[in-house]
Amino acid sequence: MTPLQFEAQHAAAWQELDAALAPTSRKRGSAPADRARIAALYRAACEHLAIAESRSYPVWLIERLEALTSRGHQLIYRQADFGIDKLRRLFLIDFPTAVRAHRLQVLIALVAFVGPLVVIGVLAYLDPSLILSLQDAASVEQYEGMYGDPDGPIGRRDAASDWAMFGFYIRHNIGIAFQCFAGGLFFGVGSLFALAFNGAAIGSTAGYLTWRGFGANFYPFVITHGAFELSGIVLAGTAGLILGHALLVPGRRSRLAALEHAARRAIVIVYGMTAMFAIAAALEAFWSSARWVPASVKVGVGAACWLAVIAYFLFQGRPRRGSGSTR
Amino acid sequence: MTAPPSVAESRLDTRYAAETPEGIALWLRPAGVVPRFYAYLIDAAIRFFFVSISFLVFALLGTFGDGLALVLVFLLEWLYPVAFELSAGAATPGKRMIGLTVVLDSGLPITPAASLTRNLLRAADFLPSFYAFGVLSMLFRHDFKRLGDLAAGTLVVYAPRTELLRGTPPPAPARAPAIPLTARAQAAIVAWAGRVSRLTEARADELAEIAVPVVVPRAMDGDRVAALVGVAHWLLGRR
Repeated sequence: MTPLQFEAQHAAAWQELDAALAPTSRKRGSAPADRARIAALYRAACEHLAIAESRSYPVWLIERLEALTSRGHQLIYRQADFGIDKLRRLFLIDFPTAVRAHRLQVLIALVAFVGPLVVIGVLAYLDPSLILSLQDAASVEQYEGMYGDPDGPIGRRDAASDWAMFGFYIRHNIGIAFQCFAGGLFFGVGSLFALAFNGAAIGSTAGYLTWRGFGANFYPFVITHGAFELSGIVLAGTAGLILGHALLVPGRRSRLAALEHAARRAIVIVYGMTAMFAIAAALEAFWSSARWVPASVKVGVGAACWLAVIAYFLFQGRPRRGSGSTR
Repeated sequence: MTAPPSVAESRLDTRYAAETPEGIALWLRPAGVVPRFYAYLIDAAIRFFFVSISFLVFALLGTFGDGLALVLVFLLEWLYPVAFELSAGAATPGKRMIGLTVVLDSGLPITPAASLTRNLLRAADFLPSFYAFGVLSMLFRHDFKRLGDLAAGTLVVYAPRTELLRGTPPPAPARAPAIPLTARAQAAIVAWAGRVSRLTEARADELAEIAVPVVVPRAMDGDRVAALVGVAHWLLGRR
């Protein structure tokens, strides 16, 4: 068969596929029968391309078929990955399950974060000048106004409003969490550093403020949003360590393949951790800083939040006992 | 004895073959550092513009506006590329202007998870400063993946061309070749005939001189180009 005969024989089918793939014909939701027809035409075009290549047909034929099949491929294999169901499934099952599936990384992240937090916290309490080697003097001076007893909300440098602080917490804290995740690409070192650094900074602040006698304002302030923020930063580090772990211990995959595989698992934790930071930002801006809420209420609500978060990661999304399946 | 190099390894250019379940190859053309840098500059300008505007506009709303402006800055910083990569063109406005698009390295359309992965890991590509790691990774690889692309399994490619190579030979009377031609020789003659209209006459004749003595020896004295184009027409099926 000559190229011209080949083209004449199949041109009608190619034109039909071309028209079906045009953006205008897809807008108004094609009928199911249409879709089956498109799939059949697409498979035929793929076959024609393979034949044309093996017979060294002229370039215009091959290019035409390549363009046609690549457009068809993009349309046919498009994944509908969005949707409320997917989101519900993420928070009810996928996120807590992913966290439990990586307990090694969670444990390392926890140690890397809580270790410096406690050690530096105790040291800063015993020797308050230590805080000056971790934070600059100007910001330490401001703690007086932030956690002391003037009027204004707790934990603010100036008289910023709740909304402004909400924006600040979203941008600043989630940014840090994303960087903590990205640092995992360097064999996990970046994540470990971010965890330890943030742990040390928070520990030194807590130690200093306790020594200064502001504990009664500081701890009720942090306890509620801390449930989401502190566990959020540990999970950001966990997601980073999943990448780092895959690079260090790729198992039977190549390092690159292991990284790709790990990233698909880690991103689930990143989704969840981002949501936790958003909750934390809202709580920190509108609830934690409020002077009108008595400290005892804040401690009570905060404790309930901690219990809820811990229970969520321990129990949420486990298969029902005796159901025999995981879904 | 070592195995012969695969098609991808032996290629001189950077075309990237993604095989589909139907057994054909989708040829992707990965984009290198320079076009992606231009696209980045355009996107940076767009983002800067919107950040400035939003601070001006939201300042009118008072402190509530300050908060919204900061949330918007956060979204522009981290999720601006994700939102656009998941839209119809699978590219940020900057990439779209340069003619780039983002796909999975299997040739499939990009997924939300992959898009978020590659854009959050941008922070790693940025280190130690000015995207140094990202640029290094791109320069060392045949498919120009930055670190985020490596983890997400994505490629930045040139958008499929809308205009195709026509490559139809100019009109000439069909004429049969003097000897049977192999498939390779046939393909070479047809490909040459497709390029004739874009070559200078002298170059077309020079190339024709290689084939004509064997393929149509009787045309050596006359118009060699026309004779060989005629053979191409005959091979294509005009007999």
